Amino acid sequence: MKQIALYGKGGIGKSTTSANLSAALAEKGLDILQIGCDPKRDSTRMLMQGRFIPTVMDFVRTGGETEIHLEDIMFTGYRGVRCVEAGGPEPGVGCAGRGIIATFQILERLGALKGDIIVYDVLGDVVCGGFAMPMREGYAQEVYLVTSGELMSLYAANNICKAIKRLSVRAKNQCRLAGVICNAKNMEREEELVREFSKRINSRLIRFIPRDRIVQLSELHKKTVIEYAPESPQAEVYRCLADDVSSNERFTIPTPIEIDELESLAFDHI
Amino acid sequence: MNLNPLPSTISRNGGCTLTGALAVTTSVRDSITIIHGPDGCSHHNFSLLHATLLDNDCMTVPRVMSSGLGEHEVIFGGEKALLNAIHRAAEEQPGIIFVLSTCITDTIGDDVAGICGHAGVPVSLIPGSGFLGGNFETGFSNALMALSDTIRTSTGPPLPGSREKNGLVNLIGEKNLEYEVEQNFAEIKRLLSLLDMRVHVRFVHKSSVNELGTLPDGSLNIIREPSLTHVGDYLQKLFGIPYVNSFPVGMTGTLLFIGETAKKAGISEEEPVQKERESQQQMLDEFSDLAGKRVSLPLLPGSPGYREICEVMDAAGLMVETGGIDLPVPIPFPVGTAGISRMLHGWRRVLS
Repeated sequence: MKQIALYGKGGIGKSTTSANLSAALAEKGLDILQIGCDPKRDSTRMLMQGRFIPTVMDFVRTGGETEIHLEDIMFTGYRGVRCVEAGGPEPGVGCAGRGIIATFQILERLGALKGDIIVYDVLGDVVCGGFAMPMREGYAQEVYLVTSGELMSLYAANNICKAIKRLSVRAKNQCRLAGVICNAKNMEREEELVREFSKRINSRLIRFIPRDRIVQLSELHKKTVIEYAPESPQAEVYRCLADDVSSNERFTIPTPIEIDELESLAFDHI
Repeated sequence: MNLNPLPSTISRNGGCTLTGALAVTTSVRDSITIIHGPDGCSHHNFSLLHATLLDNDCMTVPRVMSSGLGEHEVIFGGEKALLNAIHRAAEEQPGIIFVLSTCITDTIGDDVAGICGHAGVPVSLIPGSGFLGGNFETGFSNALMALSDTIRTSTGPPLPGSREKNGLVNLIGEKNLEYEVEQNFAEIKRLLSLLDMRVHVRFVHKSSVNELGTLPDGSLNIIREPSLTHVGDYLQKLFGIPYVNSFPVGMTGTLLFIGETAKKAGISEEEPVQKERESQQQMLDEFSDLAGKRVSLPLLPGSPGYREICEVMDAAGLMVETGGIDLPVPIPFPVGTAGISRMLHGWRRVLS
């Protein structure tokens, strides 16, 4: 079983990429579980025809976790992709990070964490220990950074490298950086910049996903690109990404760079 | 605390912030204290307080309640649990409800202050999370400060103009868990009587909310120890009451205390100081059998109480020598002349 996690700045397209990746992997006949680890709970929506599925934390909030059954929180979407949303507290109260930890414990107890590939779609900023949970305890062993060529997005990706690096020194930790996915914003020299960034942090650009209107169109139809426009070039890109991910065996301990270096890198690619 | 002085820097003053706050709040007789945190915070502190109070021959059971936070509340916020606890406490109709925040509620950011409104009785919030750098002392001080605010809210600002010197003295921040709290109180009472002054409010020792509310009627505050000076400042700001910043420590210290108290009260100090000097001499005469005994200095130069101990040894004619008998030193240093007398009794037991 492969367990991968997608991390990256908020709004960068992690959920879109995750959903399309899961759909493309499922097309290959693989058994996929996608887990949205963000209180926003919209990770799996496009796999579920636009439905916001009940979250694990919804059940904990209302019913008490003892009564939870797998079918209450796990839903089958496009091509049999099993979808779970962690959910969390209302914005501004409680501790969402602890919610993620609790979700993992519940999924573990219910025996939900199985399949050919588990895709964890995680909140952009690893603001506390809870959001590093998928990287800990042997869950996601392969972390993909989703970024565009924008400085703040690279900055967030670089921060996640710090978390991976810190975790990697622990004896039992198996979490490694598996590569960088560039979800393009249509900037000049964007691919070149992200490729160079990937090299500097001791990784590589796995796939460049060009910006395409078909992504927005698919979302408006509440579907992944794979489902809505299977013949489109964009769907092909996601299929290639699925191939990259399922065959990837090059995992590294990242070397995060300093902010100065990051800024001058961005300068060099104006 | 002098129950069990340890040969290290460990003291209760460095302990849990909640314990410090509870040392004050559980001494408000008609109060209920809610610890807004997991049950363990309450249980642990309740046990500690209960055991200490029993040790001090006090049979009162501390009125402590828990909001009972579990993982559910940590994730979704503990505010509702606190509200429930406040309502439960209010049903008992206490004079005041204290709410102590804890490490976990300050971590998850519960809006505790927003909830602690009036629930039919005053609700006073005391910050209790120790991970923010606080310890026992911080909790103790936080409780006194919060209680000062509560009194101010109920009594309103003091009337302008200088306060009448009425001889009423408030004691601020007595160490309720200390073994000698009543003996120290008695000594202060005795020293004040030399000045024709008397204790008005014990802020806080087994006091009721109504008694505490009369604190502004006092014309002088005496602070238990200098670490609470900021509480003295605060009370002065709120109610215009001047203060003396420590209970008396050491022989000269006790004389200075009388002098300062007299000055603050606008009384002549000469006669009472002379009287006390004579009492001290009388006390020393009772221990004349100790003169010439070889002892070793139990404290390092510069440590708290060192100067006062040397003074007492010197006055009692004890000879400090290497290899001399180790003497027990009470921590904190005993209060007033009576405290020194108790210490000398202890030394006599060791030396004879």
